[in-house]
Amino acid sequence: MIAFIAKRLAAGLILLVAVSVGTFFLAHAAISDPTVSLLGTTATPAQREALALKLGLDRPLVEQFWNWARHAIVGDFGVSWRNFQPVGKLIAIKLPVTLSVVTFATIITALVGTIFGMVAGLHPNSAFDRAIKAISVVLFALPGFWVSLVLVVWFAIQLKWFPAVGYVTPNQSLGGWLRSITLPAVSLALGAIVVVAEQLRNEVIAVNKQDFVRTLRSRGLSSWQVNVHILRNASPAALTVLAVMFVSLLSGAIVVEAIFSLPGIGQLTNSSSQIGDIPVLLGITVVSVVFVVIVNFLLDIALGWINPKVRVK
Amino acid sequence: MQMTITKVAAVAAVTFALSLAGPAGAQSPTDLNIGNFLDVTSWDPSLADIGFDGPYMSAVYDPLVALDADGKILPALATTWTYSDDLLKLTMDLRTDVKFSDGEAFNAQAAVENLEHLKAGARSGEAYVNVAAFKAVDEDTIEIDLTKRDDSMLYLMGLGRSYMASPAAIKAGTLTTTPAGSGPYVLDDGMSIPGSEYHFTKVADHWDSATYPFQNIAVYPILDATGRHNAMLSGQINVNFADPLNIEQAKQMGWTINSAVSAWVGLQFVDHTGEHLKPLGDVRVRQALNYAFDGAAILNSIGAGDGVVTNQVFPAGRQGNDPSLNALYAYNMDKAKALLAEAGYADGFDVTMPMSPIFAQWQPVADQTFKELGIRVTWDDMQMPDYQINAPKYPMFITLIAMDNDPAATLARQVETVQWYNPTPQYATVPELKSLVEAAQSAVGDDQIAKIAAANKALTEMAWWSVWYQANNTYFSTPDIAVTPVTGMMFPTLRFIQPN
Repeated sequence: MIAFIAKRLAAGLILLVAVSVGTFFLAHAAISDPTVSLLGTTATPAQREALALKLGLDRPLVEQFWNWARHAIVGDFGVSWRNFQPVGKLIAIKLPVTLSVVTFATIITALVGTIFGMVAGLHPNSAFDRAIKAISVVLFALPGFWVSLVLVVWFAIQLKWFPAVGYVTPNQSLGGWLRSITLPAVSLALGAIVVVAEQLRNEVIAVNKQDFVRTLRSRGLSSWQVNVHILRNASPAALTVLAVMFVSLLSGAIVVEAIFSLPGIGQLTNSSSQIGDIPVLLGITVVSVVFVVIVNFLLDIALGWINPKVRVK
Repeated sequence: MQMTITKVAAVAAVTFALSLAGPAGAQSPTDLNIGNFLDVTSWDPSLADIGFDGPYMSAVYDPLVALDADGKILPALATTWTYSDDLLKLTMDLRTDVKFSDGEAFNAQAAVENLEHLKAGARSGEAYVNVAAFKAVDEDTIEIDLTKRDDSMLYLMGLGRSYMASPAAIKAGTLTTTPAGSGPYVLDDGMSIPGSEYHFTKVADHWDSATYPFQNIAVYPILDATGRHNAMLSGQINVNFADPLNIEQAKQMGWTINSAVSAWVGLQFVDHTGEHLKPLGDVRVRQALNYAFDGAAILNSIGAGDGVVTNQVFPAGRQGNDPSLNALYAYNMDKAKALLAEAGYADGFDVTMPMSPIFAQWQPVADQTFKELGIRVTWDDMQMPDYQINAPKYPMFITLIAMDNDPAATLARQVETVQWYNPTPQYATVPELKSLVEAAQSAVGDDQIAKIAAANKALTEMAWWSVWYQANNTYFSTPDIAVTPVTGMMFPTLRFIQPN
């Protein structure tokens, strides 16, 4: 187990270094002179030069990267070039917003996707199964931003159940927080639900045909108990999809955050990209990679818990 | 355990249900909730952008002088001001009853420290390029010594370049993230969420309280136009920086719609002398490029008709603008081709132009027009920050340039002074223009306005630009609120937003 963890950590570290190096050099290649967007068009060449000196942009790129990396190793991602706030602090403010929405979306996806997948898988070709398939096709065909806008029109503008835009912290109001993340989370979840449900349905159909299920039934177990066994055997694939979805929802949140005006990581990435705030972009990259590594690690543990056959010896 | 989970779930469900029952966006006539296009650039007035920072900055800071909707200078922290006879010294009398939010007093020394900070600022410094020194004459009087006459300085100060901050905060370097002004409101840190919403509460005994009638103000930076519109529809905001595509729905909703021209769209010619692209040195070629673009059609198809078709850079309906010139280059492709042929370019010419995603909406019409004229364009694609650096290195480029309410400022920023879009002002290479611009620079009062209008006429006739149209900035507000748009401010300051 220790060797497994060490291998996972090593792979994560290599991924982290590779992505950080790539992000650093690609960002510098894409943004020829960040001082223009940082200071505006009215700044004099002397003012731009002074800022470049202050930011260390006069030094070779490799030296700039090394300076960043040796501080990043100890958790210091530097300061934002835009407002000289510590990058770690900026991310700490924005990350809970995105995590709130994505976690809520993942919970919705897991719950609804499991129910839909189980019912459809246990009753293949039934009316419900065909309805789920039809809904899947529709939700897949519809662009996510359009679904978001429809939700806003119905639930925010017509019914006024939820705010159309904005975010409320749990400290300000727990109810307000739930209301502010519900529509964004549902927007993100709708597309993911059908993927998880479809994956689980196919696995349930396959597991349901296996001998051990027949044996369980012949031993007099209730339908509920048998279904729990089916779910446990069918869920690894769906769980893997769910983990991949969680990671992709983190990046997909950029569109939802724009539509709902949420001050999350997506918004920070967007604004930092526009002005060439490379330290913030690097900080976001590192945090994102760390999340990918953690999610994959938790997935391995969860799969081992669900199915002892895949546990690391 | 089962019981605990059930209880937690029940509490969560009740909380959720109760939250649904609450109002989506409680409004009262005393609340102003603004949907702005951009987040605040910086709380430091020297780094703030005049464009969309107006509502944020005017909430927490007082300026030395302000503007009215026509661009006339209004007193604020400076109660009166006088220029010396040679117009090289400006003396200002200041209020003596003002304190900053951190308790520091506003006085002449504080004003001088602020002005020095603003002069050194990368964004605010443009207002003070001709300042030699700021001096505190006594406790409530300052002098601004100029190296040369500057007719734009007071206008720029009123536009948003004279916000006064606590000198202690300037010294501490904390202004970037924490405002410390003497404005009519203070930022409510507890309620505000950076990047999402900023809440301001009214200062009880502010010296200009009557100008700011709202008790509570919230500004929501919402980059997405549809998001802003939805926020207005749902009642979360009652003033919105609008997308013209929504004007019809705004009418159906009974909202108040206010517009004013804000920027001109067209071709900026950089190489009027033809040094890098010989054809552009010929006035007939530039005139051809004015006749060839159908401004009315472009405005309707791309700008949703929200603007004014004109060939001038002076804002429509403002001093310096001459409505009779608007028909000068009415769309006429035949005439454009004839002028090109007359100049010796019947088969067109080759040109390389920059392109950025922001200007891509005009690229097809430009391509089509150039093709009809036989002009072969090679587009160099680049991102916006690079566009602002590199575009002026090309002989001409598609642009959208903000305009000013003040005619002297327009002449300065569009013609005379170095700007990112005009790195080498070339008016002096044409003797007639040089004399007209210099005459306008040395005149005063109504005579100056007349001379600026004359310069505008000559510049337009010489096709100094190819202006397709002037685009509006449009604001929606609920019927109980009125917004007065101001050319020069992308979003007006709070004094221009009043209860109806």
